[in-house]
Amino acid sequence: MSKGGNHLCSHCSLPIGIRGMERTLNGEECTFCCYGCCIAYQVKIGRSEEWDAAWLLIRFGVGAFLTMNIMLISLLLYAGTFGGADAWLLPWIHLLLWAFATPALIILGEPYFRETWIQAKQGRITASALVVLGVGAAYAYSVFATIEGSEQIYFDTATMVLMLFTLGSYIEAAGRAKAARDLEPLLAAESECATLADEGAETRRPVRDIKPGMVVSVKPGERVPVDGVVVEGESHTDEAVITGESRQIAKGVGSTVIAGSMNLDGPLLVRCTGAGSATRWAQICRSVRDALSRRSPIQRLADRVVGVSVPIVLVLGGLTVAYWSQTIPFDRALLIGLAVLVVACPCAVGLAAPLATSLGIGRLARSGCLVRDAGTLEALARTKVIAFDKTGTLTSGRPRIVGIESEGAGTEEVLARAAGLERQSEHGLARAVTAAAAARSIAPVEASNIRAVPGRGIRGQTGGEPVAAGSGAFMRDLGFTLAPALAERARSMEESGYSVIYVGWAGRVHAVMSLDDTLHPEARATIEALRRLGLRVVLLTGDLAPAARRIAAMVGIEDVQAGLSPEAKQEALARYHAKDEIVAMVGDGLNDGPVLAKADVGIAVGSATDLARETAALVLPKDGLWILPWAITVARKGWGITLSNLMWAFGYNLIALVLAMAGVLQPVLAAAVMASSSLLLVVNSLRLSQIPDPEPLESPGKPAAVEPDFVRHGVGVRPIARAAVERG
Amino acid sequence: MSYYLVIFAAGFAGSFHCIGMCGGFACALGRDPRGRAVTAERHLLYNTGRLTSYCFMGVLAGALGEAVASSHGMGNPLQNTPLDTAQRLLAIAAGLLMIVMGLQFFGLLQSFHRVVNIGFGGTTLAATFRNLLSSESRAAPIAFGVFNGFLPCPLVYAFVAQAASTAASLTGFLVMLAFGLGTFPAMLMMGGLGQVLTPVWRQRGVWLAGSFILVLGIITLGRGLLPLDSHMAHAFAPGSG
Repeated sequence: MSKGGNHLCSHCSLPIGIRGMERTLNGEECTFCCYGCCIAYQVKIGRSEEWDAAWLLIRFGVGAFLTMNIMLISLLLYAGTFGGADAWLLPWIHLLLWAFATPALIILGEPYFRETWIQAKQGRITASALVVLGVGAAYAYSVFATIEGSEQIYFDTATMVLMLFTLGSYIEAAGRAKAARDLEPLLAAESECATLADEGAETRRPVRDIKPGMVVSVKPGERVPVDGVVVEGESHTDEAVITGESRQIAKGVGSTVIAGSMNLDGPLLVRCTGAGSATRWAQICRSVRDALSRRSPIQRLADRVVGVSVPIVLVLGGLTVAYWSQTIPFDRALLIGLAVLVVACPCAVGLAAPLATSLGIGRLARSGCLVRDAGTLEALARTKVIAFDKTGTLTSGRPRIVGIESEGAGTEEVLARAAGLERQSEHGLARAVTAAAAARSIAPVEASNIRAVPGRGIRGQTGGEPVAAGSGAFMRDLGFTLAPALAERARSMEESGYSVIYVGWAGRVHAVMSLDDTLHPEARATIEALRRLGLRVVLLTGDLAPAARRIAAMVGIEDVQAGLSPEAKQEALARYHAKDEIVAMVGDGLNDGPVLAKADVGIAVGSATDLARETAALVLPKDGLWILPWAITVARKGWGITLSNLMWAFGYNLIALVLAMAGVLQPVLAAAVMASSSLLLVVNSLRLSQIPDPEPLESPGKPAAVEPDFVRHGVGVRPIARAAVERG
Repeated sequence: MSYYLVIFAAGFAGSFHCIGMCGGFACALGRDPRGRAVTAERHLLYNTGRLTSYCFMGVLAGALGEAVASSHGMGNPLQNTPLDTAQRLLAIAAGLLMIVMGLQFFGLLQSFHRVVNIGFGGTTLAATFRNLLSSESRAAPIAFGVFNGFLPCPLVYAFVAQAASTAASLTGFLVMLAFGLGTFPAMLMMGGLGQVLTPVWRQRGVWLAGSFILVLGIITLGRGLLPLDSHMAHAFAPGSG
């Protein structure tokens, strides 16, 4: 288990605050964020042979039995049933209530007493101290009243408050676990077992023990535990957790499967190709666990408020009793004080932020988006400016031929000769040429004596005459002549930011090929979607201004800053930041790590290692730029829910506190409303899991057209950029 | 008194309906190998727990009804008749609810039951409770009975509605006490009876219970709708018992 493992609740997977409780249940170390989770967990895992769960339920059942009898009798008392002729019964009934209340108090109150005691020994006062104090006072007063023969006894209040608190926290914890159900598979991966198929015998082994070459069996409905190749069986898998896109992918013998993908409909035997603990899936799970166990700023704030509020409430409770006891009998004043303590119990406040952020993190992770911590969601939701790096982010970083200007030769001949040379080269531009030739089914012309001249080009011989492809300078070195019109074309293309390859043979330059970086097909739609979300989109790039402007025009970015060194990019981010705007920076994560780290939210596409290096705070799946608007929507919704939760929790507590101090709110009612308030937060937070899955913005179409977008013979200038986009 | 006898009878008839769900629990409680006395004790404790839950709900419903009824007409002694407007409205609501529940016993209005059944982890809880039964602890049956009392059951809801319509905590308590006691015989004997009773008879019991609830619902509705001095309304009013 990772180091963060100790900080998540065993039941609801929420981070455990300072008040975490540890129990050993059935020989297993469990930690819980609250008492409710402790109960709910035991109920959930409870089996008859397991003593803990049964014992817990018996205790509650008996506690409830006693409490209900107390309440029953008390309600009859209030209704005046034992008035008049039956009044002689009263002292006996009081004694009976005492007899019921004492075990009920011990049974139901024990966890609260214990927590108060443990925390008090460490010099802390927690919310359970409020309950203990209030309930204890009501009980003690009632005991005296019973002995003195007074009529005002509040055993019902004391036990009922305990009962409702227990019940409320149980219901809340059950709801929370239901809400966090989505997180379970994400957290389970590390402890997950794979079914090892070995000569017909199947054994369960932890995923981390799986070594390459082992064969595991994956049943329908299970997650594929390892990366591997199918050796037997046919099925469909859903790789949403890796690619972000939820669709069925057919798998048969020989198909590769990714760890973490869901096997949908048929049993598979998979030969493992990598160590079980080294998959991206395992990495996702680790990062989710880490993200959950870090507290967001707003959560820390809420926790601090809770910490401060407990002593304040204690004082307020005391003051309330003191104030009211001047005008009304002491027992009534005490009851009002109890209501104050109960109603101010800040359970809901502690729940407001973590539930929404946890759900948000889990929601993103299930679509392959990894978040570093809860604070990232908050920052992402409040982002105003989103800056893009160009190469590798908006573009694929793989150039392709977008135009060929030729003179005295056909395009096919140009490509055939150039490809004959370039196929011997590993250069990125060279690959674009061979790809273009291959795409048009042009057979390269055999060339001999090929020599690459670094930084200039490549030359060789075909049929006895020299052939060359490379820069203009290279052509001059070789003494090839260049027609002025072609030279003019080449110069204008270079000025516009294209890469240009001259192709020449027989002592003369025959063609100029212009190459451009390939735009990601979904880049434009993504930028548009981001705009619709009200974000300001800017392009920060180290490329030359013409190229940057052209790409920007293609995707629809107006704000372009080109020719920036990494330092200058950081300065640009700092300028936005200085204007109190939260800036997100999107990069490929390979060469712009420091810049991403400098942004408020560094977003890397497809490079999860950045998460570990803390340069990026959000990592999108590979080729997952399109998912960014959705991720921002999720973050915003989570943030909205967190805020509304906090407002509700604080607002409710304040209003209820005022009502209680005014003596309007009955303690039992206060406890009931308290529990329902927590439940409301759970339901509100659950809205987060209703966000639909991300959908590709538009059909990606042809990913990277290798065909030149235009081919012109002779000379002429025509803008080609727009055409390239429209095809994308 | 006759009023409570009717409810007792309805509880008795209705308890044949219980055989389906709660009877399973009672059977699971089963025979204790330590002897007949221990077995009897376990079943008695279980039913006491159940009865307590019912009575608690009855008192609460009665008190709630009282609160609703007395929140109107307060401070005006002339209006403070047993059947003022609020109480009439309460009776109408409870009566309608009971009629709906009663019809359910005849297989009508099934969807309503589904609405009622939506809860937090209800099935998990029920399963866990069932496991509770195999616990050796003496207190387990009582705890189980308490939880059992709160499991969703249209029969119980119907009588809680009836309890609320009486608009007093004592009468509410008595309604649920009578109902709960009515379910005692069948549930106590469940171990043997469950097997002996043919499905046909069980179905008849359910219909009988449905009829009782339907009639009670109509009477309760009548208490709300009919003029003050109506003979029928008074004949079955809890005050006359």
